[in-house]
This record gives sequence, structure tokens and C-alpha cells, in this order.
Amino acid sequence: MYGQKYSNLKKLVLYAIVFTYLVFVLFPLIWLVQSSFKSMYQALKIPPALIWRPTFEAYQKALGGGMLKAFLNSAIVSLSNVVLVLVLGVSAGYALANLKTKASQNIGFWILTVRMAPAFGIIVPLYIILRSFRLVDTIFAVMVAHLTINLPLAIWLLKSYFEEIPSELAEAAIVDGATRTQILLYVLVPVAAPMIVAVSALVFLLSWNEFLFAFVLTSEAARTVPVLVASLAGTMRFDWPLMCALSTLALIPAFVLVVYLQRYIVRGLTFGAVK
Amino acid sequence: MSKNFLKAVGLTVSLALVISLMSLPAGAAKTGIRVLVFAQGFAWPELFGSTGVDETERLKQFEEKEGVDVRIEWGDETAIRQKVAADFAARTGRYDLVLVGTDGGVQTYGYGGFLEPLDKYLELYPGGYFDPQDVYPQFLDANRVEGVLYALPYYSFGAGIMYRKDIFDKYGLTSPKTTDELYQVLEALKSGLRGEGITDVYPVTMRGAPGEEPTLDVAGFVYAWAGYPAWFEGGAMTPDQIKEKKAMPIFTGDFAPGFGAFVEICQKYGPPGISTHTWVDMMNIYAMGKAAILMPSAINAYAALGVTEDEQVKKYTRFSKSPTGSGGKQIQSFWTFSLGINKDSRHKKEAWKVLTFLMGKESMQAFAERTQWPNVTMKSVLYSDVLIKRYGLEEIKLNEESILEAEPFYFPYIPELNEYMDRVGTATSEAIAKTKSVEAVLSGLQTWALETMLRAGYYKK
Amino acid sequence: MGVRVYWPPEENKLSWQYKFLLPALLVLLSIVAFPTFFLFYVSFHEWVLFKRGMPFIGFENFSRVLTSSEFLQSLKVSVMYTFSTTTLTFILGLGLALILNEQLKGRGIMRTLIALPLVIPPVVAGFAWKFALNREVGVIGAFILPAMGFMKSLLADPSLALSSIILADIWSKTSLMFLILLAGLQAVSPDLYEAARIDGASSWQLFSHITFPLIKPAIIIALIIRFIDAFNVFDAIFVMTSGGPGTATQTFPLLGWKIGFLYFHLGQAATLAIIMLIMTIGVSIFLIRRIT
Repeated sequence: MYGQKYSNLKKLVLYAIVFTYLVFVLFPLIWLVQSSFKSMYQALKIPPALIWRPTFEAYQKALGGGMLKAFLNSAIVSLSNVVLVLVLGVSAGYALANLKTKASQNIGFWILTVRMAPAFGIIVPLYIILRSFRLVDTIFAVMVAHLTINLPLAIWLLKSYFEEIPSELAEAAIVDGATRTQILLYVLVPVAAPMIVAVSALVFLLSWNEFLFAFVLTSEAARTVPVLVASLAGTMRFDWPLMCALSTLALIPAFVLVVYLQRYIVRGLTFGAVK
Repeated sequence: MSKNFLKAVGLTVSLALVISLMSLPAGAAKTGIRVLVFAQGFAWPELFGSTGVDETERLKQFEEKEGVDVRIEWGDETAIRQKVAADFAARTGRYDLVLVGTDGGVQTYGYGGFLEPLDKYLELYPGGYFDPQDVYPQFLDANRVEGVLYALPYYSFGAGIMYRKDIFDKYGLTSPKTTDELYQVLEALKSGLRGEGITDVYPVTMRGAPGEEPTLDVAGFVYAWAGYPAWFEGGAMTPDQIKEKKAMPIFTGDFAPGFGAFVEICQKYGPPGISTHTWVDMMNIYAMGKAAILMPSAINAYAALGVTEDEQVKKYTRFSKSPTGSGGKQIQSFWTFSLGINKDSRHKKEAWKVLTFLMGKESMQAFAERTQWPNVTMKSVLYSDVLIKRYGLEEIKLNEESILEAEPFYFPYIPELNEYMDRVGTATSEAIAKTKSVEAVLSGLQTWALETMLRAGYYKK
Repeated sequence: MGVRVYWPPEENKLSWQYKFLLPALLVLLSIVAFPTFFLFYVSFHEWVLFKRGMPFIGFENFSRVLTSSEFLQSLKVSVMYTFSTTTLTFILGLGLALILNEQLKGRGIMRTLIALPLVIPPVVAGFAWKFALNREVGVIGAFILPAMGFMKSLLADPSLALSSIILADIWSKTSLMFLILLAGLQAVSPDLYEAARIDGASSWQLFSHITFPLIKPAIIIALIIRFIDAFNVFDAIFVMTSGGPGTATQTFPLLGWKIGFLYFHLGQAATLAIIMLIMTIGVSIFLIRRIT
């Protein structure tokens, strides 16, 4: 393992494991996408038809239903969440990684507890307080709610990564007269890039997919994609193909993002400088 | 990384904040009436389009004429019920019209004082949109709690059997009039299908998922077998009656036979996954031609007819009135999709106008044309050309009879109804899945109900 | 280069760490202060939506919630569910991350594909699996499995329902673990392996002596986050089984949702939320202390 040359047999085993898993991952996805081109009846037909005349009805409905606005809202909510979380989270994560007192560990732990609160318990008070500030049905409200999910996650992931980075790096820079801000931005952030990118991707996707807060806190102006999915393909007339079509559409921007970001998650970064 | 990077970050943050603040709502000129409901797509398609988000000409005309702006919010059923509860809990009055079904919402929110009593509005503002005389009284009555009207009904349904005439004919069967006949029919279907080696068509599809999902139907069975709403001694229906007669719960008493029959039929004649089936599965199975009977919430088969592409299902589906049980009553499954006015609404008069407009004749007619379901509240719409043409006068008459013969009050109207609904449904699912025996789940229900009613002070001296 | 001790002036007043921490802390505090207070306040009061008034009742809510039979059942289900899904997604995620950290051909595209389920909203993932596993109309449950001779209904059999949900969970949540752990692995410098390999270390020795100690922080936080999320899952389970059959898959969030939004006992729902919070805190502290 670890960069060494493999025998062909070992490689074969590794490929086999990954391929088996990929079949498991891709099967439902492909099924979801193909369902979006079927009618409800066709989508549930057993055995499933492998060749059929595709219908684009679901997509027409999806695109006619305020999809663009929802995509825009979702993009704003998710991207601003990423930015806010990174700005607040990188510095807080770095600080916590360098705090070893009992009090500070308690603070760090408290931050994590924010994420632990069950949604069914805090949805009513969150609604009350945002309503009292007249913020219901604003992108701002959704963003704020999503911060409670994403910020603790980011702070702790980044903290764990900063702890892995050898302290010699920062010490060398201090010796050179750099301020803490400079050290963080010019020395540590580049080294922590893989985790920062991973955190950005997670924050973006968690925010993009979050339903409950977004649903209770919005009406029409600030509706996000999952809320629209629920509002178009809701109950009684249960429109499974429409749900699939909306998901397929929502998949595209997220897919592009993941493809783009994943190469940055693994990058030939080395700590050679401090060795 | 450089200063430019810092600038870029700063810029993006401020941009994000500015954009999000810009989205703060601006004041509207017309009175905004917010409506919170589910069933988009087929509810009010002529007002909000088939997607539920485009406003049509008809809606715009109404808004212009009455000076209101109707803002509707859709969601799936669970989410909407949660949002209604959250808003009532916060008492913000944000939503003027809210969804309240007759399976707990009307009762809980009515008793809790969250809904505006509507009787005086009917008198004071008769209006041209909604004619209460045209509505079947059962549908209005179901929305009365201790005589007070708290909501108006939109699409609504009574019980019935939807069956496949082709399959029935093949085995020489006719639609059952009594529950004894029902058993015989189911048994004949089972052995007939088995004899032909057909394993993926089931004699009956019903719903048995945990939660309130199957409870309307279970309550309907209980009513048919006991001959009265056998939840409390003597069939006590309201908090006052329960208190006055000190009526104890009777889940291990008269409630048991109907409950047991429901469970038995699900287990013996239903599809294998029935203990987690919701109405969606019930509808899917019927639409895919995999069940000979759908009952007792016939509306789900009408929904299936809108989905199916199976020619046999389309051609041979028939409606028949629900069978009579040993208690001398028919199996019930009665529900109305209702909207009520939030007591904290600041625009009740306008809300009433919107309410009558949404529940009125024109909307109901458009619903019938769109869905082709005969599950409408008004006589004039039930007997309209579109439905008669689709189902024939005979079947429309049968549907009307099933409404007129229905007993809306086949379960008690108490504020705790929602919890009862959930626990009865969960017990049903548990018994169908054979996690516990019917006796065990019923005695569990009995213990819980006694404790709850005692604690709530129903049996004080 | 001569060594000189230099402390920037900013570090004299308040230690710099706290300055870096403060913005995030203030933002979080301002958001959660009221909900936290509200949660505790309500849990000591009898707040039933259809009853007027909200009397103080001390610890009554706690004793009612803790002694109810549903609580024990949900505890059992929650523990089984959370433990299995956390462990399984962790093992799979770590294994895949280790494999795809290697110089394999096509690893870029394989990584992307493995991350894909993250993109599907949990509700949709739940519906997809519900429909696929459905015994009567599902492509897996009614077509593939029966062809292989398996005739049971996965979602309606009390002994299989939870496993089916966990299967769906593995599908949608392994990606998260994979992503976090893959990023964590980047902190391990290849040079370290070089040196060890020259000393003749085996693959397992490399993992247990170099990789594991170095990515331990990432592992702990990945486990904690997965645990917190799994303990709080609502939509996927609700969509697939509604907690059934019976209460076979009714975890705490489903119970809490019922108590609050179906039974309208908002005080008791808040109490259950606090009890869950205490449990989560306990397990997290255990994980942090035991593994570090």
C-alpha cells in the first residue's frame, strides 16, 4: 500500500472492491434518472422496460414550476453559507487547534453541541424568533438556520486537520516575524487546502439538500430546491417521475461542483518544507 | 495566496450579505391572504396551474375584484401538518387559511381555539361563490365540533369498494353486500388466483402503515362490526359525553372485533408489504393491476385510475357500496379536505372570501374536470356531465348513496383525536406484521387510553 | 537565520486564539441562545397545543417521557440503528478512502462517482429506496430478489425493516465519510512511508503505525459527526417505513416528531429533545476521551 508498486493481483482485488461498490452506488442513481423519463405507470412496471419511448413531461412541469428562482435561491444560500462558514470556521478551527485549556475545550465542545439539537425540538423556537424579526421567507433566515448545521461541522473538521499539521510550520513563520493572521492565511490555509475544499463541498451539499428548516422558514420568495421538490411533487397526486426529474436537474450543478472540487481534495501537497 | 485573495473573500462575504438582505419582503398593496395546504397539482388546477405555482386568469380576476392577493404554500402532507402546528404554536397569525383534515385537525384546533367559528360568516356574508345548500350535509357536518362549524370542505369522500369486474367475472363473483360475503369473495379470489398460479395479484389492497394512515379505515371497520363508534362505553363521542357518563375506553371490548377483522383481512388477503403501506402503495398496487379489490377508501382507486396505463384496470374498475358488518352498519372511510380560518388572522373577512372562492362551485367543478374523481362535495358537481359521462349515471348514483348513507361521526370528536389516530394506526401495523398479537396490541391501547383519560381529568368526580 | 523571540503586539491583550474564535462563537450564540432557553423553559411546563395555559410542572415531563413504553422501544431501535449505520459507513468509507488514495488509474472519476449520493436529497433517496425495495412494484423487491428466490417483504418484515433502512443509509451516507477521511489522509506525507518502507515495514504496520495515528483526529470527528447525524435522522426513515411496521423502526426523532406535531405535547417533545441532547453529548465525550 501507500504508493508502492502493486502486483497485478493486488490491483485486481482493489479494482474489484471499488467496482462492486460503484455498482451499488450507481444502480439507484441510474434508475432514478431513467424514471424521470417515464410516466408513473412505466416507472413502476415490473419487469422494467429497458427500451421505451421517453417522455419529457416531468421536465416540462419542473421547468415551468419556478425552478429557476429556486435554483437561484439555493445557490445563494449554499454559496453564502460556504463563504461564511469558511471565514468563521477556518479561524475558529485554527484557534481551537491551538487552545489546550480546559475552558477552551469546553467552548469547542459547546460548538459541537449546536449541531446535536434535534430539529423537532428547535424548529418552533427558531420559527418564533425569526418571525419576530420579520425574517421569515427570506434567504437570510435559511442561511442563518443552515449555519447552525454547517458551522460546527466545519470548525471541528478544520480543527482536526490543523491539529495534524506539524507545529514547526507555524513556529518557523513566527520566528520570521509573521503575525498569526499572516501565518494562517499564507502558511496554513494552503497546507489545509484538501480539508478546506472537502468542507466547502460538504457545506454546499448539506445546505443545498436541507429540507426541514428551509421548508418551515420560507413561503415563496426564498424557496430552495428541496422545498420546491416537495411543493411540486407532494402527496395525493404522487408524482414520482417529477420528483426524479427535479432531482436529476438538481444533480447537475452539484455534480459539476463535485467533479471540479474533487481534484483539489487530493493534491500533491507536501510538508517537505519543514522536514 | 495574496492580498487579492483577502479582497476576494471580503467582497464575496459582503455580496452574499447584501443579496440575502435584498430579499427581505417588500410591502404589498393588496391584502395578502396566505394559504397553507397540500395536494398541489390537482387541487385548484384552474387557479394555480397544474404545477401549483402559476396564477391563472381566473385567480387574477378574483384578486382584482376582491382586492386580495392569494398566496398559496404547498408541501407534502406531513410537512404541511407540521408547519400548521408550528405556526399555531407560535401564534403568529401568519397563515390566514390553513389545512385541517377531519381526522384530527378540525377537532384539535377547534377545541384549542385556534380556528374561527364560521357559522356567523355563512349568515353575514353569504356571497356568490359558495352555496351551503348545494353541499352534502355530511361533508359540512364532519367539520362541526360540538355543533360549531370550523372549516369548509373541498374534495371529500365516503367509503366504497373498488373492484375489477373482469377478475370477479372470471371467478363468478359479485360485489359483496355484507362483510360475510366479503370474506367469501376474498377467499374465492385467493384460491382462484392461486389455482391459476398468479402470485403477483392480490385479492385486496388496503393500507396498514403505522401512524394515522390506516385509522380512518380501521375506525370504519370497528363501526361496522360494533354497530356504533365503539371507542368509549356507550359510544360516547365528545368530551362532555365522556365526562358525564364516565365512559371508559373499550379497545378490548366492542372495538376489538372490527379491529381484528381489519388485521385478519390484511394478513390473509393483502399484499406482503401491507404493514408499511400508505395510500401511495395502495394506489400504486391497484394502478399496476396487482389487486382485485381496493377498499374501503375508494378515492385511492380513483387516484389510481388517473395514473394507470393498464387497459384492464381502466376498463373494468367498478364502484360498489361498502358492505354491512355484523353490527348492522356499513364499513366507513369518511374524510374531508378542509380549510379553516386562523383565529389569529388579521384579515378574517378577506380570508372568508378567499375560502368560499376556493371551496366554491366553480372550483369544485374544475376539480372534477381535472381529476375525473367523483369525490366532490356538491350535488350539482357530482351530477355534472363530465362525471356522468365518465362513470355512467348508475355509478354516480351509487357514489351519492354512499355519501348520503355515510356516518361522518364514526369516531369520537375529542381534542386528543390525533394521538388516538396515531396510536390505533400504529397498533394496526404492529398486529398485521405479527410483532404482537391482536389481543396484546389492544390491551396496550386500552391501558394507554385509560391512563391518558384519567390524567386529562375526564373521570373526576 | 538568528533566532529571536518576537511576539506581535496583538497577542498581548487577549490571547490571539480567543480573538480568532470570537466571531464564530458570537454568531452561533446569537442564533441558538433563544432556542436553547426556550427548549429548557418549555420542558418544565405542560404545553399541550389544544389546552389553554402552560403551567409549570417541574420534572413531570421527564418522568412521563422516560417511563413511557415507546421510549424504551425507541431507545433500542435508535441504539441499534445509530451503531450499525455509523460503524458500517465508517468502515466502508475508510476502506474506499484508503484504496482511492492510491495511484490507481481512473481514481479521479471513481472518487467523483462514490461522492455522488451526497447530491441526492435525503427525502428523494428515501423514496427511491422505498420504491426500489417495495415487494409488490419495486425493481429490487419485486423483480431482482424474487428472481433470486427471496420472497419476503424487506420493508414490512419487522426483522428486516431496520436493515433495509441501514442499507439505504450506507448508500447515501458512506460518501460523507469517504470525503472526510480522504481529505484527512492528505495530511499524511508520503515521505513518512518512504522511510518506513526502507525499514521493511509491512502494509499493516504502515497503517497502524503511521496512517492511523496521523488521521485519528479526522477519524474521531468523522465518527462523531456521523453519529450525531444518524441519531437525528428523520426524513429518510419516515419516508421509507413511517417508523414501522408497528414501531420496529421508530427512532427517537420519529417519536419526538409524533409527540410534538401529532400529539401536540410540545413540552414533552422539548423534553425528549433535551434527553437526546444529553445522550449525544455523553457518547461524543466518550468517543473523544476514549480514542484520544
